[in-house]
Amino acid sequence: MDILNHLDFATAFRELSPELGQGLLIALEATLGGFLLAVILSVLIAVGRLSNSKIIRGILVVILEIVRGTPLLVQLVYMFYVAPLLISLVVQFMIPGYQFQLNPLLAGILGLGINYGCYLSEVVRASILSIDKGQTEAALALGYTHRQALWSIVIPQATRQAIPVFGNYLIMMIKDTSLLAFITVNELLLRTQAYASQTFLTIESYTILAIAYLILSLPLSQVVRLLEKRLSTHV
Amino acid sequence: MSKPMIEVAQLHKSFGVHEILKGIDLTVHQGEIVVIIGPSGSGKSTLLRCLNCLELPSSGTVKVEGTSFSDESGRYNEKRVARLRTEIGMVFQGFNLFPMMTAIQNVMAAQIKIRKKSAEEAKKTAEKYLTKVGLAERMNHYPNQLSGGQKQRVAIARALAMEPNIMLFDEATSALDPELVGEVLKVIRELADEGMTMVLVTHEMRFAEEVGDRIIFMDKGVIVEEGKPSDIFNAPKHQRTKLFINQVLHPESEKV
Ligand SMILES: Nc1ncnc2c1ncn2[C@@H]1O[C@H](COP(=O)(O)OP(=O)(O)O)[C@@H](O)[C@H]1O
Ligand SMILES: [Mg+2]
Repeated sequence: MDILNHLDFATAFRELSPELGQGLLIALEATLGGFLLAVILSVLIAVGRLSNSKIIRGILVVILEIVRGTPLLVQLVYMFYVAPLLISLVVQFMIPGYQFQLNPLLAGILGLGINYGCYLSEVVRASILSIDKGQTEAALALGYTHRQALWSIVIPQATRQAIPVFGNYLIMMIKDTSLLAFITVNELLLRTQAYASQTFLTIESYTILAIAYLILSLPLSQVVRLLEKRLSTHV
Repeated sequence: MSKPMIEVAQLHKSFGVHEILKGIDLTVHQGEIVVIIGPSGSGKSTLLRCLNCLELPSSGTVKVEGTSFSDESGRYNEKRVARLRTEIGMVFQGFNLFPMMTAIQNVMAAQIKIRKKSAEEAKKTAEKYLTKVGLAERMNHYPNQLSGGQKQRVAIARALAMEPNIMLFDEATSALDPELVGEVLKVIRELADEGMTMVLVTHEMRFAEEVGDRIIFMDKGVIVEEGKPSDIFNAPKHQRTKLFINQVLHPESEKV
């Protein structure tokens, strides 16, 4: 019970919040980049999986299985520590002594983007398949090619329909940026760890960190709910 | 005789093992209005969809204004098919309007994307055709803010805005509440009066008799009988035609 008497939230809050502010900016940067990449990848993967080419579909299924079958944390570590090594090895055949380095934040963005892109592609694919075939037929009858009908009639409707689900994944991604601490990205968790180990204000620091994430994600969940309502108007 | 707009020769279409169209020959001339009637499942929609290549024929040819959908080697090249389709407007039973676009955007989209018109040009044309179908006041409404009859008229305007030479209607009024059928038929009748070449599938027999230059009775994938409306409706030659027309005109009477 001694610990409880020595809790010092005031000090922890005063000293940690500027740190958390800095970390938050980095986390948001990672989320923004990662999510943008994820959205683009998800549409491309979804379209690829609906293509006529068996080879494209096969390659994509293998990639999806690998990504879904391994933990995100392992993928991030792989992206940061292993991928640059492999790239260096290959390039060294042409340029001896070449050393490829990946900025930790960039590695994080790539890792998050690819991982989320794979999961989101399932959402996009399901939305594309759920669009009435009459939409494509109407476009074809007007002289669209299949590709034009897909990109200008079906995909806009499918992505619009997927936006609320995307919103939920966005909130998940913000929270998952805490994993970037393991690849030396100086986001909220890493800063909190550093502070807690210097000051031994362990309970205070991590409680503040948890609350910071909550404050971040609760309003966003509300926004997603609102979006869901607004977007269901003209469908 | 005026110029043939659609020429169908020995058209067969199968889905899996089921042969739905069993050798259709049909020529539609410029300005002619052909009405296809027949029992449900007889292949009317499939035939209509073959006319603009939404269904690929299993064998046989479909020509539009002298050009076949398949190329010299018998293949269906997507670009060629798409180009030919712009000559044919199609109106569906279920409207198939684009839900995320307003009425006028629905009518503009293909003009811009396919005809490569500027937005202003497309808008002008769209306004012209929406006014023609009586929807000048509803241009900025989304499809879900329109009644079925209004939706179908937007769909007709959308097809007309591509300025096709042929129009296909597949049961354009079947999904409508009875009180809304009239407003859509009126638009189709006006097109008929303007000399548009049309192929219609309909269950509205009075309308078929009134606007049709030629009635085609289909059953089980073949054309059983065709002729002038007065002949088909008053003096059908075939027993199957007789039965069908009796049944449609007098649904309450006992089946023979
Ligand atoms: N895409 C398809 N796949 C399999 N069968 C089909 C398809 N389209 C139509 N059919 C079948 O073809 C037959 C004729 O259909 P359809 O042309 O729609 O008839 P109608 O318009 O005269 O009612 C029906 O038995 C229907 O089930
Ligand atoms: Mg039909």
